Amino acid sequence: MPDWKPRLQRVFDANGHACDPVELDVLEELSTHAAAEYDALRARGSDAGEAERRVDDLVDMWVRDAAALRRRPKRALAIPPPSAGGVPFAGLMQDLRYGVRLLRRQPGFAAVAILTMALGIGATTMLFSVAYGVLLKPLPWPDADRLVRVTETRQGRTGRVPGTVSNGAFLAWRDHASTIEDVGGWLTQTATLQALPGAGDPVRVSIIPTTPGLFPILKARPLVGRLFRDGEGARGQPSLVILSYGLWQERFGGRPEIVGHLVQIDDKPYTIVGVMPREFAFPDRETRAWTAWSVSPVKAENGAQVGVIFRAIARLRAGATPAQAAAEATSRARSGPDMALVARALFGAAGPIDISAVPELQAMTADIRPAILVLLAAVGLLLVTATANVASLQLARATTRRREMAVRAAIGAGQPRIVRQLLIENAIVGLCGGAAGLALAAGLQRLLPSLLPAGFPRLDGVAIDMRVLSFALAVSVVASVACGLLPAWHTRRVNLVETLSEDGVAPIGGAMRSPMARTRGLIMAGQVAIACVLLVGAALLTRSFVSLIRADRGYDPVNVLTARLPLPPGYPAERRNQLLDTLVERLRAVSGVTHAAYSTSVPFTPGGVFVAFTMRSPRNPEVAVDVQATQRLVSPDYFAAMRLRLVAGRTLTDADTTTTTPAIVVNRTFARQYLGDRPVGVRIPQHGPRAGGLTLADGHADWEVVGVVDDMRQDSVEAALQPEIFASLKQIDPSRARNFDPVLVVRTAADPTAYVSTLRSLVHDQAPALALDSVMTMEDRVMTSLAKPRLYAVVLAWFGVFALLIAGVGLFGVLSFSVAQRTREIGVRSALGAQARDIVALVLGQALWIVGVGVALGLAAALAGVRLLSAFLYGISPHDGLTFAAVPIVIAAVAAVACLVPARRAAKVDPLTALRTG
Amino acid sequence: MATTLLERELKRGSTEVLILALLDERQRHGYEISQLIEERSNGTITFHTASLYPTLYRLEDKGLIDGRWIERAGQRRRRYYRLTRAGRKALATQRSTWDTFFLALDRVAGIRHA
Repeated sequence: MPDWKPRLQRVFDANGHACDPVELDVLEELSTHAAAEYDALRARGSDAGEAERRVDDLVDMWVRDAAALRRRPKRALAIPPPSAGGVPFAGLMQDLRYGVRLLRRQPGFAAVAILTMALGIGATTMLFSVAYGVLLKPLPWPDADRLVRVTETRQGRTGRVPGTVSNGAFLAWRDHASTIEDVGGWLTQTATLQALPGAGDPVRVSIIPTTPGLFPILKARPLVGRLFRDGEGARGQPSLVILSYGLWQERFGGRPEIVGHLVQIDDKPYTIVGVMPREFAFPDRETRAWTAWSVSPVKAENGAQVGVIFRAIARLRAGATPAQAAAEATSRARSGPDMALVARALFGAAGPIDISAVPELQAMTADIRPAILVLLAAVGLLLVTATANVASLQLARATTRRREMAVRAAIGAGQPRIVRQLLIENAIVGLCGGAAGLALAAGLQRLLPSLLPAGFPRLDGVAIDMRVLSFALAVSVVASVACGLLPAWHTRRVNLVETLSEDGVAPIGGAMRSPMARTRGLIMAGQVAIACVLLVGAALLTRSFVSLIRADRGYDPVNVLTARLPLPPGYPAERRNQLLDTLVERLRAVSGVTHAAYSTSVPFTPGGVFVAFTMRSPRNPEVAVDVQATQRLVSPDYFAAMRLRLVAGRTLTDADTTTTTPAIVVNRTFARQYLGDRPVGVRIPQHGPRAGGLTLADGHADWEVVGVVDDMRQDSVEAALQPEIFASLKQIDPSRARNFDPVLVVRTAADPTAYVSTLRSLVHDQAPALALDSVMTMEDRVMTSLAKPRLYAVVLAWFGVFALLIAGVGLFGVLSFSVAQRTREIGVRSALGAQARDIVALVLGQALWIVGVGVALGLAAALAGVRLLSAFLYGISPHDGLTFAAVPIVIAAVAAVACLVPARRAAKVDPLTALRTG
Repeated sequence: MATTLLERELKRGSTEVLILALLDERQRHGYEISQLIEERSNGTITFHTASLYPTLYRLEDKGLIDGRWIERAGQRRRRYYRLTRAGRKALATQRSTWDTFFLALDRVAGIRHA
C-alpha cells in the first residue's frame, strides 16, 4: 500500500505550496482520506494501478483548490490566562500577595480590622483555655471519672464548713461499703513547719492531715519512700509526714536520704516517710505536706461524743454510679451512731442524714461553672460583634471595589476566582487577628493568677496547648470566612456594564435602598443589640457588686488592721493571755490607734467555736430549748474596735473578770431565736452537754446575758445569719480553754496599712519566736471575699465597653460611608432648598433607625437572658428598671458622638461642588 | 451565469447544513462524512470530495465544529469532528430557514423537498 503523505507533500510542493506546521496537519488528514479511499477502491475490486490512479485524481483536485485547504491558525491570547485549570492552587500566591498589598495600601482599615479580630479572638481563646482547663480537662489521676466527692447534709443544712462530712457518717460507710473501693478524708489547715530543730526560719505552710487511704484512692505513688499504711495516724501511733516535691526541693535540697528524718510541725516531731512526685497536687498546689491522720470515732474513750467535719473523696467500684454510692452512704450513715447534739453544733440541725456523691471534677468546679459559662456566652457575643464589624467594613470596601470586581470579571476572572480573592483577603485579616489574639490570650494568661480570686480551682490546668491553639485557629478561620461571605455574596451579581459605566456614587435616596447598605444597617443593628445585652449584664453585675460593698455587715471595716498571731500547740495559756494583754496595751499607746483588741476570729477568718446545749426557754421555763451558736472569745475593746452596734444592755468591759459574774453578749439573731423580748439579764446555765464548749472559771456560775449587739456578717452577706455568743477571754479559766490562734484588731484614725510595721515590731519585741500571719486590713478582707463578683463584673464590663466601642466605631463607619456615597443626593436636596438641619436629620434618621432597632432587639434579648445572671446578683433585681433605662441612654450618647462627624460633613456639602464632581 | 451562482450558493449552503446534520448524530471523520453524504443524497446532490475539506475548515474556523486527532486501537490516527454548542444552534437556525425556504418554494412553484 502506497504511503500517501510524502506523495501529497511532493505534489503540494511542486505546485508552490510550502507546507507550514498547520498545513502539515491538513496534509496528514488528506493522506488518511486518500488511504481510506484507496482501501475502499481495492475492496470494491479495483486493481492496485486503477485504485492509485483514482486516488491521484482526487489529489489533483485537492491541489487545484489548495488555497481553500487551509485551516486558520488558532489566535494566541493577548494575555495568557492563569493556569488555574490544571493546578487547583495556582494563583493562590498571587491572590495572597495582592491581598497583602491591598491591606498595606489601606493601613487604617487593616489596623481596625485586625485589632477588632485580635480582641474578639484573644478574649474568646483566653476564656476557652480557662473553660477547658478548669471545667473539661480530665483530672490528673488515673480513672479520675470514678472519683466522687462526698458531702453530708442534715435536713438540707450543710456542715459549718460547707462540703464536708461528719466522722459518724464517714466511719459508718467506710466500714460497710460495697459501691466504692474506699473513701478517704482530709482536713484543711496551716501549720508552722521547721525543717530541722534550730535550723532555718519556721514557715507557715498548708499541711493537710489525710487518712492513709487517700493516696491509694487517687492511685498516687511516692517518688521517694513510701505512703502511709493502714492504721497509721491513729492516736498513739508515731507522727508521720509525706513531703511535696516543692517542699522537698526547697527545704531539703532534694536529698532522698531525708526519709526517716524528723521535722517539726507545730513544735511536734514528725518522721518523713516519703516524697510525692512533682505533678502530685492535692487538694491544691498550695499544699506542701501531708500528715497521717485518722478519723476519730464518735464515742471517745472517756464516753464523750466527738464530732469532726472534714472533706472526703471516694473511688467508685467499676460499674457503680455516684447515685448508688450516695444511696448506700445515706443508708449506712443513718444506721450509724446518733450524734445528736454534736450534729446540731456542726450542722445546725440534728435531722436525718443525706449523703451526696458528686464526680470530683464537678465538685471542684461547682462554684465557678455557672460564672464561666456566663462569661463564655458573653465572650461569644463579643466575638460575634467583632466579626460582624469586620464583615461590615469589608462590605463597605466591597461597595467601593465594585469597579475593581467588574474589571476583574471583564478580563476573565470567574465568580469563584473573585470569591476566592475576597476570602483570601479576609483570611489574611482573620489569621493576623488570630495570631495577635493568641498573643493577647497568652499575655492575659500570665496575668491570670493575679486576676483571678484566690482559691480559683484548677488554675494550673489552664494552658495554651495544642487544643487551645487549634481552637484559636478554628475561630480565626471561621470568623474570617464569615466576614468574607457577605461581601462575596454581594459581588456575585456584579453587572459589568452598569458598574463600569456608573459614576461611583449611590443613586438618589440610596440610604438603605441598596442591598449592601441594608445588610450593613442590619449588621450594625445587631452589633448595637449585642452591646446592649453585654452592657445590661455588666451594669447589673457592677451594681450588685456595689451593693455587696455597701451592704451593712454589722461592723465598720474602714480603718481596721487585723493580723493573726499563730501560737504553737502547747503554748501556755497564761503566757498567751499575758502576751495579748501587753500587745493590746502597747498598741493603744501608739498615736493614731484608737482601739486595740483581740479575738478568736474576725470576719472571713476561721476560729469560732460551735457550741450546742440545752436551756430552759426564757419565755416558758417548762420548755427545753436546743441551742446552737458560734462562740467567740474577745477582749472588751473588740466591740469598739469593730464598731459593733449595741442594741440592748452593755458590751463587755475590763471589769468582767474571773471574780465577777460570767458575762456574755449575744447577737440579735441569738436573742430573737432563744431569748425572747427581754434578753438582757437572762441566765444561761453553763453545765449540761456541750460540744466544744467553754468552761468558766467558776464551774457552777451561770452565764448572764449583759448585752445584745446587732448581727455581724462573718462571711458573705448572702449567707444565713447565725446565732452568736461573745465572751471575754478574761473570764475563761486559762488552764481549760482550748488552744486558738488569736487575731489582733487595731482601729486607727487614718490609713491602717501605715501601722503594719509598728504591729510587727511590737510582736517581735514581745515574742521574738512568733510571727504574724495574715496581716490585712478589714477592708481588704471584705474585698478579697468579693473577688469573684468583682472579677465577673469587671470582665463583663470590659466586654460591654469593647462591644460598645466596636458598635460606635462601626456606626461612625456606616454613617460616614453613607454620607460619602450620598454626596450627590445631598447636593441635589440642598439645591432644591433643603436646609442644613434637614440634611443632618437625614443622617440622624438613618442612625436612629439602626440604633432603635438594635436597642429594641438588645433589650428584648437582655430581658430574656438576665435570668442566667440572677444567681450572681445581690441587692438588685435582674429586671432592674434603672439599668434597663440607663443602658439605652448610654448607647444613644455613644451613637450621638458617632453621628457627629458624619452629620457635620453632610451639612457642609456644597451643592455646586457636589453636583459638579458627582 | 446567474443560475450557476445560485447553484453554487445553494450547494455551498446545503453542504454546510449536511455536515452539521451528520455531526449532530455523533462525531465523525472526513472520509466517513464524504461517504455518508454520497450515500444519503442518493446522488441527487452532486457533492465533490474536493470541497469537503475546505468546508470543514471553514466550519471549524467559525467555531461551529471542533476537530481533534483521535487514535483508536487497530486503526490509523484520524481527525474526528464534532458539533460545538454554537454549531448546534446554527444547525437549528439553518434547519428552520431551509424549512421556510422549501415551504415558500412549495407555495410558489409546487416544489417539495423530500
